[in-house]
Amino acid sequence: MPFEIVKPGTHFDFIGKWRICVAVSVAVVLLGVAGIPLRGFRLGIDFAGGTEVQVRFLDPGAVDEGDIRNVVNGLGIPNASVTRFGGVDSHEFLIKFRGGREVEEAAAAKSASGAAPEQSDGEEAGAETGPGQGDADEVREKDRIFLLEENLEKRIGPLEVERVEFVGPKVGAELREDGLKAIGIACLLILIYIGFRFSVRYAPGAVVALLHDVLITASLWILLGLEFDLRVLAALLAIIGYSLNDTIIVYDRIRENMELRTKYDLKEVLNQSVNQTLSRTLLTSFTTLAAVLALLVLGGEVIRPFALAMTIGIVVGTYSSIYIASPSLLWLERRFGTASSGPRASAHEAPKAPRAPKAPKSEAPRPPKVPSAKKAKTKTKAGSRRRRRPS
Amino acid sequence: MSLRWRLASVTAVVLLLAYLALANFFPEERRAQAWYLPDQGLRLGLDLQGGIHLVISPDLEAAVAQELGHIEDGLSRRLEEKKITGVQLFVEGDLLHVKLAEASDAEAVREVLRDYETLQVVKSDAERITLRLTDEWREQVQERAMLQVLEVYRRRVDDPQTGIPESVVTRQGRDRVLIQFPGISRVPDIFRKTGHLEFKLVKDADKSEELLRAKYPDGFPEGTEVVFEREKETRRVLRAYLVSKTADISGDYLSDARVGFDSRSSEWQVNFTWNSEGAEIFAKLTEAHIDDLLAIILDGQVYSAPQIRARISRSGVITGRFSSEDAADLAVILRAGALPISVKIEEERSIGPALGADSIRSGIWASVVGLLLVVGFTTGYYRLSGVYASLALLANLLMVVGLMSLFQATLTLPGIAGLVLTVGMAVDANVIIFERIREELRAGRAPRPAIAAGFSKATWTILDANITTLITALVLFEYGTGPIKGFAVTLSVGILTSVFAALVITRLAFAVYPGTRYVEQVSI
Repeated sequence: MPFEIVKPGTHFDFIGKWRICVAVSVAVVLLGVAGIPLRGFRLGIDFAGGTEVQVRFLDPGAVDEGDIRNVVNGLGIPNASVTRFGGVDSHEFLIKFRGGREVEEAAAAKSASGAAPEQSDGEEAGAETGPGQGDADEVREKDRIFLLEENLEKRIGPLEVERVEFVGPKVGAELREDGLKAIGIACLLILIYIGFRFSVRYAPGAVVALLHDVLITASLWILLGLEFDLRVLAALLAIIGYSLNDTIIVYDRIRENMELRTKYDLKEVLNQSVNQTLSRTLLTSFTTLAAVLALLVLGGEVIRPFALAMTIGIVVGTYSSIYIASPSLLWLERRFGTASSGPRASAHEAPKAPRAPKAPKSEAPRPPKVPSAKKAKTKTKAGSRRRRRPS
Repeated sequence: MSLRWRLASVTAVVLLLAYLALANFFPEERRAQAWYLPDQGLRLGLDLQGGIHLVISPDLEAAVAQELGHIEDGLSRRLEEKKITGVQLFVEGDLLHVKLAEASDAEAVREVLRDYETLQVVKSDAERITLRLTDEWREQVQERAMLQVLEVYRRRVDDPQTGIPESVVTRQGRDRVLIQFPGISRVPDIFRKTGHLEFKLVKDADKSEELLRAKYPDGFPEGTEVVFEREKETRRVLRAYLVSKTADISGDYLSDARVGFDSRSSEWQVNFTWNSEGAEIFAKLTEAHIDDLLAIILDGQVYSAPQIRARISRSGVITGRFSSEDAADLAVILRAGALPISVKIEEERSIGPALGADSIRSGIWASVVGLLLVVGFTTGYYRLSGVYASLALLANLLMVVGLMSLFQATLTLPGIAGLVLTVGMAVDANVIIFERIREELRAGRAPRPAIAAGFSKATWTILDANITTLITALVLFEYGTGPIKGFAVTLSVGILTSVFAALVITRLAFAVYPGTRYVEQVSI
């Protein structure tokens, strides 16, 4: 007999626990929202604008974050943060601050001894103290990263600047906007696709599930005090796409089970479907999780936020496919679907479309609007498969 | 299609892509030389090979102001010709104000303004007419400035002396320039300068601005400014010069600039040549001002202020205590011309080559370990079927890299993450199929029909699941930038190949064994 993580014939009452699960999920999201004032909704430089400098000290001796902080503060860089990058004894540090490379106008005027104010007017109309201005030495004098490197080297020891990332406020705002747009559009497209492939009834449930995953992941992210940046956005989008996989497996089975019988209790069908697909849901998540964990542990610091967000997302996505997606389907159905007759009665009306309360409104569980050959084929297959279905 | 043909064609596709994928392990020079290796391969993103990604936005409003300045000059000449006096012109932001001395001039001024098709009246009353550029012209002016900026950067990048191969200068959207320098981690100085070269006759000079100011108790004369010559290291002011605000001749007339070495003073210098128009102006200038000082000013800083000893026309020399690199940089900048307007760095991401190499190493490690974990689990859990799935997974990975090499896509660190994610997700399709087959077997079906049913029933589930992920990957491709786009690319390609791997390759494996043979049970 093959090795099975889920023995066949399980019959857990997943749907019955929906109150607890919804409560837990809502609680996590609320905690996340409550966490915003406490821990802050931290945007990385990608979205908020700012500069990140990653330095590595070459000497083997221990380097103290405090020393670096002193140097940074000594340069008058406002709101800077210094964190060790990687393990406890790593020599890499991440220095972050708001604002760009150039020392701001006011500070520059103070530090640049001989520079007369008229000079910054330059020749060109409306010229700012942009990087294009002044000669190289003057640029360096105002270049925080250059100053930082020079002073850290002097005070602490030889180092290498490994990475510099600067995002201006304008680009930051654009990336922020694009990020939100991307999440919105992805959700919308998926809503359309699910509505198109299943019935319109299924789509809201699926989107509830995927919004759930994104919200929970984001809430946990806030509670962990981590920053949102482009990598996390990429992870969130991947979660949107991926968390749906498990939901689709369950929904496919729900549809199949409903096509099988003329009389059913929706709650019972949902429960049965979740149970039947339980091993699938867990195994697919497990393999993906294995790969992502490898990335989390071995992929290096730069990719870690992505891997961590993915890890959380996969776990949450699996949970939601089992505990959230189907109950929300049930809830939506009870709330907006067959309010008058109840799900039990609806089945009699249209055996071919058991999910449709008013038969003419949506004739088939599959979208009838796509008369593609392939679809027709699957339909007949589904039909022929009915009698031989197990259990 | 017969099994033999299917097997042959699928194997051929996989082998071809595997060949393309594995070619990446050979260095590029090797690939270019050996006929049996493909030329195309993956490009490494800047985050993996190290390099700088720079987004610059030129100050396009300044271009508009400049254009208004030109119009202002022309207009004041025209008004003078027409003997309309006392009219004050001034530019404020993107507006040109015409302040009338007497209301009676209004009609005459309007008459002149009517010839300016590029201007439109914003407001007009008895004392003042306010104008701005027409939207169309404004657009054109900005477009022209944008193209000039691009051109200057391209020339600076392409200059053989810059020596950064494969640098890229492209336009991004309407008002941005994207510059990429692979392999270096510090923005070269030459990309930070405007490159505005001016020659100005020195009206007066002294050791410091204070001393200079002392000579003019009533303030400096109208239309002059003070510029400084500084010591290189300390930035101490060596000398302050009083010069006119407008240049006597500017770098626009240069035709060439080369690095030179003066063996007498053993100093590096830049030899330049004027074009014919410039030579004429320069000859006149030097002829009229023999023995005067001529300040050579780049971006507002005096490089040197030599004495004019004789009439010079075509060529000249710029000295300024240069190091050889300084001189070379200056020559490049002068050859490329000045940026017409100031620019601002909007985004900069630079990654050292060492960090890039680290990322590649850890990325490969993560992929290998991820692959081993998944393969180990699948074969352990599904036995022979798991072996099929693992083969499909390997083929899948080779196909992703092969396809990306074929299209010479860029591999970034998030791209590697996408690859690892693909490894994890690709097996999902097989899991769905295998679980279905197990279910059919449990229901009492014979092995072969169970396998067939497993595949057919799982097909749409697999397609649905993968299409939704593909949708998000495509959205990310559309809205993502830089390295994140790389993630979207590998993920999209990975989804396509993993569907192929699961539905075609794994199925083919089952068709080979058990195939049409009668088997007691399936190893699943």
